[in-house]
Amino acid sequence: MAEPDSGTVLTARGITKRFTGALALDDVTFELKRGEVHVLLGENGAGKSTLVKVLAGVHTPDEGELTVNGRPVRITSPHRAAALGIAVIHQELTLVPELSVAENLFLGRLPRRFGVVDRARMLRDAVPLLDRVGLRVDPARPVRELGIAQQQMIEIARALDLNTSVLVLDEPTAVLTETETDRLLEIMAGLRDQGVGLVFITHHLEEIRRVADRITVLRDGRSVAMLPAGASVQHMIEQMVGRSIEEQYPRRAGEPGEVLLRVDGLTREGAFRDVSFEVRAGEVVGVAGLVGAGRTEVVRAAFGVDRYDSGTVEVGGKRLRPGDVRAAMRAGLGLVPEDRKGQGLVLTSSVGENLGLVTMRSATRAGFVDRRGQRRRAGEMASALRVKTSGLDQTVRELSGGNQQKVVIGKWLLADPRVLVLDEPTRGVDVGAKVEIYELINRMTAAGRAVLLVSSDLPEVIGMSDRIVVMAHGRVAGELPARGATQDRVMALAVQERAVEEMSA
Amino acid sequence: MKLTRRAALAALSATTLALTAACGSGGTASSGGVTIGLAVSTLDNPYFIQLKEGAEAAARELGVELVVTDAQNDATNQVNQVQTLTTQGVKSIIINPVDSAQAAPAAKAAETANIPLISVDRSVDGGKVASEIASDNVQGGTLAAAELARAAVGEVVHLQGIPGASATRDRGEGFQQGLNAGGITVVASQTANFDRAEGLDVMTNLLQSHPGVKGVFADNDEMALGAIKALGDRAGKDVQVVGFDGTPDGLKAVQDGTMAATVAQQPKVLGRQAVEQAVKAAKGEQVQQVIDVEVKIVTKQNVAEFAK
Amino acid sequence: MTTATARRGPDWRRHASENGALVALIALVVVLAVLRPTFLTTQNLLNVGVQAAVVAVLAFGSTFVIVSSGIDLSVGSVAALSAMVGAWSSAEAGLPGPVALLLGLATGVVAGLVNGVLVAHGKLPAFIATLAMLSVARGLTLVVSQGSPVATPDAITFLGSNLTPHLPLPLIVMLVVFGLTALILNRTYAGRSMYVIGGNEEAARLSGINVKNQKLVVYALSGLFAAVAGMMLAGRLGSAGPQAAVGYELDAIAAVVIGGASLSGGVGRAFGTLVGALILAVLRNGLNQLQVNPFWQQVVIGVVIALAVLVDTLRRRSSR
Repeated sequence: MAEPDSGTVLTARGITKRFTGALALDDVTFELKRGEVHVLLGENGAGKSTLVKVLAGVHTPDEGELTVNGRPVRITSPHRAAALGIAVIHQELTLVPELSVAENLFLGRLPRRFGVVDRARMLRDAVPLLDRVGLRVDPARPVRELGIAQQQMIEIARALDLNTSVLVLDEPTAVLTETETDRLLEIMAGLRDQGVGLVFITHHLEEIRRVADRITVLRDGRSVAMLPAGASVQHMIEQMVGRSIEEQYPRRAGEPGEVLLRVDGLTREGAFRDVSFEVRAGEVVGVAGLVGAGRTEVVRAAFGVDRYDSGTVEVGGKRLRPGDVRAAMRAGLGLVPEDRKGQGLVLTSSVGENLGLVTMRSATRAGFVDRRGQRRRAGEMASALRVKTSGLDQTVRELSGGNQQKVVIGKWLLADPRVLVLDEPTRGVDVGAKVEIYELINRMTAAGRAVLLVSSDLPEVIGMSDRIVVMAHGRVAGELPARGATQDRVMALAVQERAVEEMSA
Repeated sequence: MKLTRRAALAALSATTLALTAACGSGGTASSGGVTIGLAVSTLDNPYFIQLKEGAEAAARELGVELVVTDAQNDATNQVNQVQTLTTQGVKSIIINPVDSAQAAPAAKAAETANIPLISVDRSVDGGKVASEIASDNVQGGTLAAAELARAAVGEVVHLQGIPGASATRDRGEGFQQGLNAGGITVVASQTANFDRAEGLDVMTNLLQSHPGVKGVFADNDEMALGAIKALGDRAGKDVQVVGFDGTPDGLKAVQDGTMAATVAQQPKVLGRQAVEQAVKAAKGEQVQQVIDVEVKIVTKQNVAEFAK
Repeated sequence: MTTATARRGPDWRRHASENGALVALIALVVVLAVLRPTFLTTQNLLNVGVQAAVVAVLAFGSTFVIVSSGIDLSVGSVAALSAMVGAWSSAEAGLPGPVALLLGLATGVVAGLVNGVLVAHGKLPAFIATLAMLSVARGLTLVVSQGSPVATPDAITFLGSNLTPHLPLPLIVMLVVFGLTALILNRTYAGRSMYVIGGNEEAARLSGINVKNQKLVVYALSGLFAAVAGMMLAGRLGSAGPQAAVGYELDAIAAVVIGGASLSGGVGRAFGTLVGALILAVLRNGLNQLQVNPFWQQVVIGVVIALAVLVDTLRRRSSR
């Protein structure tokens, strides 16, 4: 085994991490040099976040070796990671909005004198920290008054310690505007010049081109390639998604029928603009795009969960009342939301109860729910979907992610909607359950129903859709038939810059 | 959207304020004549309402204005109210303390403002008080014990007020002293928190373990009335109940014969005396330091004098 | 692991929390029976039932609220107000007793609806909305009563009376309301929606449940039950008091939580609440009969409440 050269600050070799059977990281190798920006690239679920959490001390790897500055280390806790000079900026900000900039910077280690916070010293000490990230704000200002980008800088300033040698940024640009992103990239470059090693996760290939020194590509929990800064976008996408998909996506398309769902000119200021598409009977329409492209926002608005400013949604030729979920349901629309636990399931209730949620109203006569009928139908659906459970009375909380997702889909199948919107239906779902969910999609369309499939999983969108609507920056960037579509063609539409200029204009 | 909601809220609060002002009984000192403050412990209780009525009647007769505040049984609240009164140009303040031990800051506030303070019904522990008008709870308890011993022989139970309250302490102490007269023995002492419903429940429970009780002394009429409910037909026949306070409902029970006796304080007299002393103090005249307002045992014989 | 069928799952686990409270109740009764032979007499047990009735009925209403992840602090005040309106409209306004009774019930429903509107449409936290109602209802009670107790008409007094010496009506009312609560929670759309809303309000909305309307139903039911409890309380005394039922909301909440409901919503049953209310009543009855020092009684009651919930929590955690 070769000694890492003196410029290497962190290495990971053969890192393997299992979660209850599923292999999240499989023999991952990664190396970070002092003064470089090293991008981690991969699809959702490829293992990037797990690797970040290993570096942050949130997860301990089952196998493999980590070294920091050439010394083998075990990162057993976030505290330990900080002591080793590893700072991590997670996707969610962890600032306290009501406290001042300085207080946030020194949270948990406020300078004290005679047991009282030494305010003057705190404000004084905050200045050099803010200078380091090039932020000029009054340290006494409450954080809530600052913009999201500035808040992110404060988060970074807080994470940076004098001995910080590794800074990990997990999708920091997802919430930033273009100019804010520019600023962040500048600061990253500045930190690199100060000798900090940066691990940068982003889906935006353009950002990679601008700032990356090296790129490690993760796919299915493995580190499949290490690319130099100059690698072509084509090559990156190929490495990122390159696997044969034919047998994984058993889509059986039929002849499309009448239009069941028509979204026309749907606009909500600041979220999406002029979104139009159609879904026909027997058809699966995929909606692709980067995270933050407005896909979830559009389908939620179409289903009546959130409001929209203009445009129309029609189901079976009937125009839906905006902001009315029940009207959408009556017209035959259903939505399996992206956030399964937060919006799809009642975790305190049983499998049977959850399966009956949508049909409860129609199973009610004179205020009384036909619970026997509900139970019978739930039992049939659980069997049909092969939900692995100890029984209908088992609390849904206890099921695995894939089985929970089957329950959410199942409650909608019981209502037999004409158009079912699936938002990230296979996220966090193991491969076996994925294929079963795809079979359900096939069955629905074969019965003359339609499916709108929102997914960040490109192979899934291409493999399971008949047509693909690609969204970028809140707009429909293009539409293409799934047959013959390639991932780089979809990606090229998803990352296009034209829409950005129009939105910010 | 947000704006309209806020506007609606503002309108609502304004309306509420206007309404409150319209039906408010308070009011600040007017320019002419003498104004006196009366800080009542609570107006949730008929007894104190009568005290207030007695005071108001006296104020009318003497031609002075009376500003009444209600502390809703909150001692801190009362201190604040007395402090407020001192800034409203009152010439003397009558306090009916929520709690004797916690009224000293109120006395201090009056003293600082150089306003004479008169205590009524309950005393003020610590602090300068010009005149103290009270009926003697200890004496009342003793009278009640004597009356119960006269009416009944054997086992009796004692329904106590809120644990730790001064009325509970004083009446209980007097009752214990009066027991020495003999003839009755206390077999159970339990609290029913001065509450009628609790008086009913506690008495019901005590009857299970002491079915043979002959008498009940309750620290107030409300609990006594609850006990009478629990006793049903036995009340006034083979079980004698003695209450305390002489509230309208209590007096009615005495009249009906279900309650053997109650100890009547004379809240209206207390209120009247307090105002008389307060007016004297306001004019700088000599006041009586202590005024004992008689407590009386009310039985069927003399109930007519009290019931109005 | 097996594939689900329609067969009954392991119900014992689901009922474990209720049985936890039931075990506590039985233990309490056994201890008291040993210490005080008079405890286990028919008459005393009837007394306990009657004494539990008011809090139990309040607690059944609170069960709806707590299952749907809310809280109702106003039930004690609303109970007093409803009873006062009932008594006043007969004694002072001269309306016939049954009409007065209905007016009292309507008062409870209206107060509950106001709570519901503030929570569902005004987006006020339930704690604040019902805290405000606690104060408003108590204040209105004083305004109506002028601070003095008001005699109740026969229609209301009947609610607190005995049908026969061994058939007290409050006990019957409690059992009827219990049955009604169980029926609503288990069988009706409104009741099932409470579990869904309490478990995950967003999922309820996305599944097409009209969350706002259902919350109105929840608080209206709580108000209605409070009115029933208030009139039962006044009926037992023959008069509606301005200070009646002060602090009862805390007993009601304690009964619901002792009965195995979760304050974070989605969990709770009528039977558990009944057991919770009985535990409180048995405890008070027993402490009286044992002649425990009044200063210590409050300590004991607090300790038992904490223990009952603690045992239940530990039991549930271990069954996970």
